[in-house]
Amino acid sequence: MKDTPLSNCERDFLLKAIEEKKRLDGRQTYDYRKIKITFGTDYGCCFVDLGQTRVMAQVSCELVAPKESRPNEGIMFFNLELSPMASPAFEQGRQSELSVKLNRQLERCLRNSKCIDTESLCVVSGEKVWQIRVDVHTLNNDGNLMDAASVAAISALCHFRRPDVGIQGEEITVYSPEERDPIPLSIYHMPISVSFAFFQQGTYLLVDPCEREERVMDGLLMIAMNKHREICSIQSSGGIMLLKEQVMRCSKIASVKVSEITELINKALLNDKTARKAGGRCGFAESMPQERITALKMDQTSVEMTDVSETVSSIVQTAEAPPQTVPSPLVPVPGVGQIGEGLRNTWGLEEEEEEEEDDGESSGGDSVAEVTKMEKEQHKDDKSRKVDVVEILDSDEEEEEVVILYPETTKKAKNTGSGQKGAATSRKQQKK
Amino acid sequence: MAVDMRLPTVKNSMSLSVSAAGRKDLVVPGDVITSDTGFMRGHGTYVDEDKLTASVAGEVQRVDKLICVRPLKTRFNGEVGDVVVGRITEVQQKRWKVETNSRLDSVLLLSSVNLPGGELRRRSAEDELTMREYLHEGDLISAEVQSVFSDGALSLHTRSLKYGKLGQGVLVQLSPSLIKRQKTHFHNLPCGASIILGNNGFVWLYPTPRQQEEEAGGFYTSLEPVSLSDREVISRLRNCLLALAAHKVFLYDTSVLYCYESSLQHQVKDILKPEVMEEIVMLTQQKLLEQES
Repeated sequence: MKDTPLSNCERDFLLKAIEEKKRLDGRQTYDYRKIKITFGTDYGCCFVDLGQTRVMAQVSCELVAPKESRPNEGIMFFNLELSPMASPAFEQGRQSELSVKLNRQLERCLRNSKCIDTESLCVVSGEKVWQIRVDVHTLNNDGNLMDAASVAAISALCHFRRPDVGIQGEEITVYSPEERDPIPLSIYHMPISVSFAFFQQGTYLLVDPCEREERVMDGLLMIAMNKHREICSIQSSGGIMLLKEQVMRCSKIASVKVSEITELINKALLNDKTARKAGGRCGFAESMPQERITALKMDQTSVEMTDVSETVSSIVQTAEAPPQTVPSPLVPVPGVGQIGEGLRNTWGLEEEEEEEEDDGESSGGDSVAEVTKMEKEQHKDDKSRKVDVVEILDSDEEEEEVVILYPETTKKAKNTGSGQKGAATSRKQQKK
Repeated sequence: MAVDMRLPTVKNSMSLSVSAAGRKDLVVPGDVITSDTGFMRGHGTYVDEDKLTASVAGEVQRVDKLICVRPLKTRFNGEVGDVVVGRITEVQQKRWKVETNSRLDSVLLLSSVNLPGGELRRRSAEDELTMREYLHEGDLISAEVQSVFSDGALSLHTRSLKYGKLGQGVLVQLSPSLIKRQKTHFHNLPCGASIILGNNGFVWLYPTPRQQEEEAGGFYTSLEPVSLSDREVISRLRNCLLALAAHKVFLYDTSVLYCYESSLQHQVKDILKPEVMEEIVMLTQQKLLEQES
C-alpha cells in the first residue's frame, strides 16, 4: 500500500521549524532519541528501541563448506527485512529500493570493516566452517532504521554464543549447550552507524531523523564508525552537495555519538550477563513495561428520575436566563485583553482571616462563615480585575468541580468559585 | 495554562431511536446471511458449506436475487459523476496521479483539465512540459469522476469552472461511507463559509469567495488573508464535522448546519471533548428527526 502523501501545510511547518532549530519532539539538533537495548532468552537475540523505531536482530550459526577462494575463513551472512508490521508502505517479499540500500549499508558496515574474526570460525580448513547469519527484522518504523539496525546487529553479535567444537584426529564433535558452554564470537571492534539528515540543500542538518523529518529531508548521510574513531563506511544518498567541512563536522559528531552508544551496548551486555548468572529471569517478556492507567474509574452516578417534570418546571420558572457566551475579549487598554471579570485575589485576604478566626470551631461552621464573608467582601469590591487568579487546589481536595479560570459574568459562577475558595482556605487553616 | 483533567468513566453511548423503517441488517465477517441456495452472491460475501456468509462488516443489501454486503468502513469506490477532493501525488507524461482515498491512485489526464486562459485548444508539447506549473505534487483539487478504468482506477476531469485547484482552506479526512449522496456537493453555508463534501470522504472547508470570479480555468487561487471571523467559523465547522463523524451521522449540508448551530453555545475547542460531542450530536439528531417528520 502506498503511504498517504504529506500535506503541504505539514511539510512547510516541519521545514520552518527546522529553520528555527526546533524539532517536533523537542530534541536538539544533535540529540539522539532514547535507545533501549534488550536481549531475549536465547543467545543472539536482541531488540533495540530507538524512540518508537523498533528493530529485532537474531544471530544463528551453521556448519557449512567454506568458499573456494577463502578456505580457512568463516562466512557472514546479513539480511535485513522490512516487514509490513513496520509501516504500511512496506510490502512483504518485495525488494524495494530502501531495503536494498539498508542491506548494502549493513553489509558494508559489518562485513567490510572486519569487525568479526572470521578465521576463528574455521573448524576444518577447506571443509567445515561456521556460517554466522544475522537476520534483522524491522518491527516499527519511526525513522532512522539504519542506526537501529546497526546497533541491533552488533549487539546481537556480541551477545551470541556458538556451540563449542572438539576435534579428535579426523572426528569433529559439536557439543550441545548442555555438554559444554557455548563460546562467544571474537569481535575486534563495534562499528555503529550514525545518520544525518540534510534539509534545504544542505543548509540544515539533524541527527537521528524521525519519520516525519525523513519525509521532508533532501538527503541522508550515514557514517559508520567505531569508538576508536575509525570510520568503517560512509554513504551519502539523496544527491545533495556536501562541503568538505560539513562532512568533517559530521564525522566529529558521529565519533561522540558512537562512543556514547558503545557504552550503552556494553552496559546492556553486562546487565544481561549478571542477570543470567544470578539466575534471574531475563528475556524480552521481562523487559516490557506495564503500561496501565492507575487512576480509579469513576462510576456514573445515577440520577433521581422520579417526579422529574414537576421539579423541572419549578426550576425553569424560578431560574434566570442562561448566560451568554462572551463573544470576544474586551480591550480596555491597547495591548491588554480581558475575558470575564476574574476572581478576586485572596492571598491578602487569607492573612486577614487567620487573625480573625482563632477559635476552634468545626470545619463545617468555618466554611459556611467564610463563604458568607467572602461573598460580602466580593460584592464590596470594585469589578473589572484584570488578574486571573490561578487556583492551586490542595491535593486532598475532594470536590471535583472544574475550576473556571475565565468565569462567565454571573453570580452563579462567582458563588461556586467562592464556595470552593472558602473550602480551600478552610482546609488550609485546618492544617495549620 | 489550564489543563482539563477528569477520571475515566464508563460511558453508555446513547443514540436516538431510529424509526422502524430505518432498521438495517448489519453483519460482521463470518455471519451467515442465509442458508437459501437460490441467491446470487455479490460483493462482500462468500459461500461456506452452502451457506452465504459475509466477509466484511456492513449492511446487507438485497436486489431481487442478488445479495451483497456494503461495508461500513471502506476505501472509496468511485462511480461516474462523483465529486472528489484529491491531492496530486505524481506528475507524469500527459497526466497527473491524484490520491483520493481509493484502492488505486486516480488519474487526471491533461486533456481533462481547463487550461489557464480558458482557451479551448489542442494540447501541445509545450503544455506537457509546463504541466508542473499548473498542478504540482501536494496540490489539492476538486474534480469529478469521468470514467472508471477496468482495474478500478478512476479517471477524473475538471472541465467545469467549479472544479479546479483549491486555495486556502481546511481539509478534513473522513470515511467515504459517511457522505450522503446528493444532487450537489458544493454548498455555501449561511454561517459564513463554503464546503465541498467530496464523495471520497475528503471534505474541504473554505471561506466564501467575495464575488464569483470567472476563473481562468480554476487554477487561480486567491492568496488574500482570511479574516479572523471566517477562520473561527471554519474551525468550528471542522470540529463539528469531526463530532458528527465520531458518532457516525450522515454528512450533508443540513446535518452540518444543524450541528454548527447546536455548537454555538460552546467554545470552538470544547467541541472536541467527548461529552460535548455527544451533546451536540444528540441535539443535531433531534433536529434532523423533527425536520423529517
